[in-house]
Amino acid sequence: MAGFALHYDDKKRAVQLLIALGVVVWIAVDAATGGSAYWTRVLLRLPLLLTGSASGWPVTGGFVLNILLSIASMVLATVLGTIMGLGTLARVGLIRVPSVLLVNFLRNSPWLVLLFATLYFLPFEMRIFGTIVPFPPFVKAVIGLALPTAANLSEVIRGAVQSVHSGQWEAARSLGYNTLQIYRHVIMPQAMRRMIPGWMNLYALLMIATALATVTGIQDVLTILNTLLAMENERVIVYFYLTILFLFIAYCYPIAAIARRLERAVKGDSL
Amino acid sequence: MLGLDYSWLADPAYQRWLLIGVVNTLKLAALSSSAAIVIGMLGALGFTFRIFWLDALIELFVEVFRNTPPLLQMLFAYFTLSTLGLKVTDPSTGLSVPLLSAFACAAISLSLFGGALAIEAFRSGIETMPRSIVDAARSLGYGRWARFWRIEAPIATRICLPALTNILTNLFKTTSQASVITVPELMYYAGQIYNDTFRTLEVMILVLLIYVALVSMLTFAMARLEAFMAFPGYGRGL
Repeated sequence: MAGFALHYDDKKRAVQLLIALGVVVWIAVDAATGGSAYWTRVLLRLPLLLTGSASGWPVTGGFVLNILLSIASMVLATVLGTIMGLGTLARVGLIRVPSVLLVNFLRNSPWLVLLFATLYFLPFEMRIFGTIVPFPPFVKAVIGLALPTAANLSEVIRGAVQSVHSGQWEAARSLGYNTLQIYRHVIMPQAMRRMIPGWMNLYALLMIATALATVTGIQDVLTILNTLLAMENERVIVYFYLTILFLFIAYCYPIAAIARRLERAVKGDSL
Repeated sequence: MLGLDYSWLADPAYQRWLLIGVVNTLKLAALSSSAAIVIGMLGALGFTFRIFWLDALIELFVEVFRNTPPLLQMLFAYFTLSTLGLKVTDPSTGLSVPLLSAFACAAISLSLFGGALAIEAFRSGIETMPRSIVDAARSLGYGRWARFWRIEAPIATRICLPALTNILTNLFKTTSQASVITVPELMYYAGQIYNDTFRTLEVMILVLLIYVALVSMLTFAMARLEAFMAFPGYGRGL
């Protein structure tokens, strides 16, 4: 039976490979029948789309900026999300209720609207302890994207912590651990394992959402694309869009695929 | 406190804009959600046949739409579908105009995006269904179709209802991105209003609150439905 299942997956892979091959052939045929002019345009602009400068260096924007934005946002979201997630688990109502309200508010608001709101809510610069901290659009985009991600991450953390059997809490408490120690030494090491797939899925989601950052005016891949398309003819636009779509798939699909594999690996173990 | 000025809200013109925006948002969400559910069901049904090339095709569809920004999908639909040949010639002016309006483009791309998410959810719902139920149905002599419609589909629907809630709220929130391709929904009118009044922060806060209220209503309704439909022994249906 296992042999048959493997056989089946192999056949599926083969079909997917065939489709990929078909796309390559289609591109080749299209290039041969007059599409090559369009592809040269795309190839010419590729460094600009990737890094924001025509020669490919230094990095001032483009798809690399999207990646940097997603990483910065994820770091901030991980910190905020952990605080929020533990807040929603607090036994003190004064901490739990505001945390739950905040998480639900952020989870129920659209990413784009939240990004816009952050953009207008944060000042151009802020005076903190006598030093002036400027808020360039990039920082605003990082914060605007980190907020909804943090709220979603707090749900992941809450789920992972709650998946640890409650008997472990009782055992640790009876051994004289306090709440902080239980989290540090008993719950977190186990819950962490279950968090990682959700965390990675969220990162892939965040990367996809960085496309929205174009509204903040930073030179991300969509902003550059729009500037470029203003100078191109109607037909080339299709090729440019396909290229950008492919960039996102190439970056996000492996992450999502690894997350799914980890998820399957974690599913089996009982805590 | 923050010096917020909401006097513009008294203007009937702006009230009307907000109302039209909300109605269009609801229309877009309702249309794309129902289409997404249908696509999700068809896709999940496709998986149950275990035909390898069909599986491969559906999987490819799901991965492409899940791993690209919905905003980009909408822009692609809006800007390129007409160049790819979806055009009609207006008989009154003789000009060639795109066959699909901005609203139609947004609805189509949102349906496909939501559909891809729904296929995954329904598929995992069918997969997590207890094997024993399927075996019991089989031993009672249910055929392939009867088993799907009478046993697998109803139970899987109940199991994956929480996942469906996530998808529907996600889709509802994503409708705000249609404003980028000039679909006159809530977010679009928000832009119109603050371009008129320069009250950007006030408008954004109000729109954020409207969206949160609408999505909260949706999640509340779905939570009630989940509680009502919960499958004993699974998830919250203990």
